[in-house]
Amino acid sequence: MFRKTLMAAAAVFALGNTAEAATEITWWHAMDGALGGVVDQITADFNASQSDYHLVAVNKGGYEDTMTAGIAAFRAKNQPNIIQIFDAGAATIINAKGAVKPVQDLLEENNVKFDINDYIPGVRYFYADSDGKMIGMPFNSSTPLLYYNKEALAKAGVDVPKTWQEFEEAAPKLKEAGYIALAQSHSPWIFFENFMSRHNLQMATANNGYDSTDVEILYNNEALKDHWQHVKDWKDAGYYGYYGRAWGANQDAFVQQQVAMWIGSSGSFGGLRKSAQFDFGTSTLPYWKGVGDAPKSTFIGGASLFAFSGHSAEEDAGVAAFFQFLTKPETQYYWHKETGYVPITNAAYELAKKDGYYKESPDAEVGIQQLSEEGGDWTKGYRLGFYVQIREVIYREVDKIMNGEETVDAAFNTIEEEANGLLKRFNDTYSN
Amino acid sequence: MKRVQFEHSAVPYLFIAPQILIISIFFLWPAAQAVYQSFLLEDAFGMSSQFVWFRNFEDVLSSASWSRSAIFTVIFSVLVAVISIAISLFLAVRADEVIRGAKSYRTLLMWGYAIAPPVAGLLGNMMFNPLMGDLYKAFNSFGFEFNHIQNANDAAFVVILIAVWKQVSVNFIFFLSGLQGIPKSVQEAATLDCKSAERRFWTITFPLLAPTTFFLLVINLTYAFFETFGIIDVSTKGSPGGATATLVYKVYVDGFIGADLGGSSAQSVLLMIMVSVLTVFQFRFIERKVHY
Amino acid sequence: MYQSKWRIFTNHTILILGALFMIMPVWIAFASSTHTREFIFQNGLQFWPGGHMIDNYGAILFDPSATKGRVTALEMLFNSMVLGLGFAIGKVIISMMAAYAIVYFRFKLAVPLFWVIFSTLLLPLEVRIVPSYEVVANLGMLNTYTGLILPLIASATGTFFFRQFYRSVPDELLEAARLDGAGPIRFFIDILVPLSVTMIAAIFIIMFVVGWNQYLWPLLMTTDDQLYTIVIGIKQVYNSLYEGGQIPQFPKAFALTIMATIPPVLVVVIFQRMFIKGLVETEK
Repeated sequence: MFRKTLMAAAAVFALGNTAEAATEITWWHAMDGALGGVVDQITADFNASQSDYHLVAVNKGGYEDTMTAGIAAFRAKNQPNIIQIFDAGAATIINAKGAVKPVQDLLEENNVKFDINDYIPGVRYFYADSDGKMIGMPFNSSTPLLYYNKEALAKAGVDVPKTWQEFEEAAPKLKEAGYIALAQSHSPWIFFENFMSRHNLQMATANNGYDSTDVEILYNNEALKDHWQHVKDWKDAGYYGYYGRAWGANQDAFVQQQVAMWIGSSGSFGGLRKSAQFDFGTSTLPYWKGVGDAPKSTFIGGASLFAFSGHSAEEDAGVAAFFQFLTKPETQYYWHKETGYVPITNAAYELAKKDGYYKESPDAEVGIQQLSEEGGDWTKGYRLGFYVQIREVIYREVDKIMNGEETVDAAFNTIEEEANGLLKRFNDTYSN
Repeated sequence: MKRVQFEHSAVPYLFIAPQILIISIFFLWPAAQAVYQSFLLEDAFGMSSQFVWFRNFEDVLSSASWSRSAIFTVIFSVLVAVISIAISLFLAVRADEVIRGAKSYRTLLMWGYAIAPPVAGLLGNMMFNPLMGDLYKAFNSFGFEFNHIQNANDAAFVVILIAVWKQVSVNFIFFLSGLQGIPKSVQEAATLDCKSAERRFWTITFPLLAPTTFFLLVINLTYAFFETFGIIDVSTKGSPGGATATLVYKVYVDGFIGADLGGSSAQSVLLMIMVSVLTVFQFRFIERKVHY
Repeated sequence: MYQSKWRIFTNHTILILGALFMIMPVWIAFASSTHTREFIFQNGLQFWPGGHMIDNYGAILFDPSATKGRVTALEMLFNSMVLGLGFAIGKVIISMMAAYAIVYFRFKLAVPLFWVIFSTLLLPLEVRIVPSYEVVANLGMLNTYTGLILPLIASATGTFFFRQFYRSVPDELLEAARLDGAGPIRFFIDILVPLSVTMIAAIFIIMFVVGWNQYLWPLLMTTDDQLYTIVIGIKQVYNSLYEGGQIPQFPKAFALTIMATIPPVLVVVIFQRMFIKGLVETEK
């Protein structure tokens, strides 16, 4: 108490007469490490660009911690103005009617020009409602990419595999060269959700969940099960490294050059450039030739920014001003360049091209190219409730497949059963 | 109760008021909320809710992951309690016999009391880190195919080891005090009667320590139930496959990460029932002992 | 008492092994905290200290970016200190008073109130944390030390400790005091409190350690990183280890761990006798 008072007093003295007019808006985000630094820079730039609003960005831990903190704060009527919510949590916040102000309304009310077609195709509808109105502002948009160790591939004399069939040919050679061929960092996101999108397979009934909360999951299909049977076989043959569910542990194996190829996020690019002591390249997410109508574009991953309801018009205007700043081509280009997340507007993409960024580092363009590949009926996105828990179920069953405790069939039956149970609970909770 | 007491109308209320006030605001009210919440289906942001009677309890009790977690919690708690009690009793008996350096040994073995569970969890996590952990490497170099990331038993071993490590000190302190409370005359008589140290322990020392042991058993079970949250959250996070998620950890994961308040509250209420049984047991035992 | 040489030898061997079992993880953490992160990342944990102790500890103590928040480890230590002391002081005062009322008075609501206090043992904070958060928020206490400390005090353990102790105080004392005409408040202040000094100190130490080591509650309720305690700092650093993105900050995580551990361990070791007495007394 005492110290708080002291600090508040100090703050008053420090700001004195200058900042008296600025409206403070808060933004809780999940960007830590190198990403957090970029967020802080953007915040500082926004504050320097105008004097009406003062933005305070606070890192609340990981995605899940941030969402938890946001929920607790909202219930306690102490919510921040802006919260970053990740893809899997989108249904929870969008279906809680009235918790957030749709970003499209917010911008239009504050006379910021809004046209959904300014955004690149992959991000347009992921955070929109079933009528196509944009609810959340896409922010850090990523897509799964294959990172490869150039030296390792050269040593084994193989090219980057574009398909899983090609991977199966390359893997034994990489093993001979002393590498585990592949690892990946996020089973539900990479080998479930984006598997469906890449092969244009339907992920859930009711238009992947966009049309209703009364949905069932469609994971228990032959294509996906077959893929996982292969993954398990690769692991047993020493072609696939499984370092558990933790993102970092799998990435570390790549950084330490035990693993020759690693599938992570396009947003990992900036961090890898700092930590990897070797030359690496990026490539698109491999697909099974002949399955579905692959290759199609992947889902957008990452997170978006939501404007919590219950704030004054003045603060909401500040949020709109910040969103406008955030979508400016220059801001997006900076964000893209520093982090590897894709630029979310066409204008920003054009700016990056014009600036010659992709000539100088062609690997940085792979993500946005993958998102700009031809779309299909099932590549728009998904909207599934309690999806955070469904991912937990997937993580758990993947663990069991990998350690041989369960067959692929049994694991997928469990996933289907438990996921549908959760979806039913969600529907019962939110549909009234 | 005291034979002699003050008879005064206002003073006792004055003295007990602060505690009751704090408990009412920060315990009774939230606890009642948790119970009420367990009968609701409510969205995470509290925008809508409906009363569903025992639906949440039915869902929890019929879910495979809850039963699995319940079974793990029981096995985990019993193992942690028994192993840490056994190790510390063994050490305490030896420390009680030692004459030279007795104080140093006591200090070296009791300081662990002050370690925070997440600190213990982080240390354990590092020791077993597959890329650099010494214990992980050691186990594998002895030919175990140790892999706690994928193998449920190995993961359980890791959390049990961390939990035991953190708890040995507390038990040690109690046992050593208990041993030092045994009159020297009794010990000397025992030495004359019985030459074998081992038999002496089982026939004389251990029965005398039985009340302490029993008390510690309850303390340790409570510890394993609740205080290991911090250990699990920074070591295995319940993986692989939820195999090392205790019930308390699951309440947290479902309620916070999963944003399912009704389901998580129902789990809280179930836990509350279990703890009441344990606590009443503990309380009656302590009461009885005082009357001895 | 006669002891064979062999027995003496095994006693020492076993105790040394036991002590090593306790100390080794912390020692390795310390040694590893004195190397660069690149070195640890490539060579694994270290047994011998390296040359970067001052760099690593200096960075996390004084440079907020090293702990990846906007708060330095020094500030976190300060917060932990406030939490530990505030919790211990609050707990001791409140539970001494409540226990006094319960043990020394006959009053109407004694039994129901005792059960109210007792009931707090049934539901640890971990399982009622969402509603607790809402209550604290409604009272406008988020991000204050008061909001951090008060909900933690709402449990009965301290009251039971003092209750046990008061019961062991001879009845004659009260009789004598009454003959001297001492009222209940004077008896409490002049006789019972001085008599309880060792007990108070012991419980204070125990509670300080408990408060310092709090985890889940501070994690959830401090939305302002200026209020992070050092134990929460560990979680934050751990998160960045877990999520990857750059070379993991193992040495700094260890340095933070060591700094979180030293204060409570010192307290417990320095006041060892008092602390043990308190801990064991409460059992009786």
